[in-house]
Amino acid sequence: MNKPETNVIATYELGKSYGKIQALESVSLNVQRNSIFGFLGPNGAGKTTLMKTLLGLVRPTSGSATIFGYDIVTDSVTIRERIGYLPQQPRFIDYMTARENLLFIARFFFSGREQMLRQRCDEMLALVGLEEKADRSIKGFSGGEKQRLGIAMAQVNYPDLLILDEPASALDPLGRHEVLSIMDRLRKHTTIFYSTHILDDVQRISDTVAILSRGQLVASGPIEQILNGKDGVDYTLAVKGHPELLEARLAALAWVKNVRAIYRDDSTIWHISVSDENAAEAGLLRHILEDKRIVVTEFSRKKYELEEVFMEIVKGGSHGSQD
Amino acid sequence: MVAKIELQRVREWGWLRGFSNLFRKEHQAWWGTRRWWINGLAWTLILGGLVANMLFIPTLTNLASPEEVNAAGGAQSYAIQMGLSVFFEFGVQVVAIGAIILTQDALIDGRISGVTEWVLSKPVARRAYLIAKLIANLLYMSLFLVLLPAMVVYGLLYLHSTEPYPLFPFLTGVGLMLLHLFFYMTLTLMLGAFFNTRAPVLAISMGILLGGGILGSLVKPLLSITPWMLAQIASGAASQTPLPGSLIWPPVVATAVWCVLFVLITLFKFERTEF
Repeated sequence: MNKPETNVIATYELGKSYGKIQALESVSLNVQRNSIFGFLGPNGAGKTTLMKTLLGLVRPTSGSATIFGYDIVTDSVTIRERIGYLPQQPRFIDYMTARENLLFIARFFFSGREQMLRQRCDEMLALVGLEEKADRSIKGFSGGEKQRLGIAMAQVNYPDLLILDEPASALDPLGRHEVLSIMDRLRKHTTIFYSTHILDDVQRISDTVAILSRGQLVASGPIEQILNGKDGVDYTLAVKGHPELLEARLAALAWVKNVRAIYRDDSTIWHISVSDENAAEAGLLRHILEDKRIVVTEFSRKKYELEEVFMEIVKGGSHGSQD
Repeated sequence: MVAKIELQRVREWGWLRGFSNLFRKEHQAWWGTRRWWINGLAWTLILGGLVANMLFIPTLTNLASPEEVNAAGGAQSYAIQMGLSVFFEFGVQVVAIGAIILTQDALIDGRISGVTEWVLSKPVARRAYLIAKLIANLLYMSLFLVLLPAMVVYGLLYLHSTEPYPLFPFLTGVGLMLLHLFFYMTLTLMLGAFFNTRAPVLAISMGILLGGGILGSLVKPLLSITPWMLAQIASGAASQTPLPGSLIWPPVVATAVWCVLFVLITLFKFERTEF
């Protein structure tokens, strides 16, 4: 069955249990074409299990999923034809050189003249900057070089979807930078679905994020939405003077959800949560400035760092949308 | 991504998907490494050396009683009988040990190292993965562990008696030796599909091989449904000793059935294995 491919990946209540251990619990998510979908979660959250389930390496115990409209259980080989996968620790045939390993993988997808296959492999080696090490044994490769070669192998069939399991987590800062740069270069050609626990990486290159905790999808959505918060927007306000009446006036506004004040020596810091972003943009500051007994020294929309959001979500809060 | 180079897509489908590439890799694991010449040399030297010892060192024939020599039809015939006995009775067991050692990590190694997971993330049918391993190992183990030493042994027999040894009985013995090898190879492969470590695979396979004789002597009917008699049957067939068909066929057929069964079980298990 070939469904229209609006979503590259679509999972519906996908679950996987090992006896009494629930590794994945009703995970429903959609990954749109040409997005870089960062899949976040602490160690043991179920990220690798989800990826392996999508690849047909692990069988789901409940729910279903499609990739390119094909069922992950019944059409796994057809799906894998269009996927590139980089495991958490890339593996190679150790008695082969880098080029031989690439050729080995390329032959799962392509047949025909050896020269053409070699040309394709050379392209991939150039993409990851390993042309000069093409004929060296894998044994002498550093972690970063192995990771880059792994990406070249995952990309050798020009996949429509790249699934990368922790592509940069085991690397030093330079190696991480190289891998993220390659991912960035590939974004215009393919959809990238990758897992990580390095929040800086996600914030740097992802456009969509999902957070998995204890096998459950606790948040997902565009990164801006996740960073802004699910239930609205927060503002930070610093005032001097006599703000006693202000709190009551703000709390009375229909779109203000919560007002929290932190008193300092000569000023007060307010955290104002609003449910209607447009109304707040148009009216919040105006309402505040109407109070002549205060002086506004700072007013800004609160910018969350992903780490802050992640910690809050994993500990029980919620941001973004649950698909 | 728009491909810069237009390549032809692989046309294998169904359970064959990925087979030719996987077989090429298994082929390279034998011929592209030291494996081929180490095995070729080692087994030929071990088995050929032992047979040469029996054929060309008269001291061993001299140790036999005159009755034994006469019963065999003279010193030369006795030496040939001893040579065949060493090759088929002792050789069958030694070759089975070799098959167990070479097969024990055929599936486990890839699973532990993550190579299997990596390969199966490509458009590869699991059956193709397994069948490529099975065929390549059957082919090259047969060649290096049995056929090559058998050719050398046949040559030694020719050198010893200066006339060709009857080919059919010898080939029958070699065929039974191959069947014995297939049994332990498929058994070990199957165990590798069930266990994640080498120790139980080795222990069970070796236990069946080495303990079989003892168990068979205690429970005679077992000899009819296991390969434990194959060494004696191979030796008897090669040395043209008349053996009743009722003694020969049951273990031969049973061993062949076991081999097929082991392969089917391995396929069934491997299809359901999660990585």
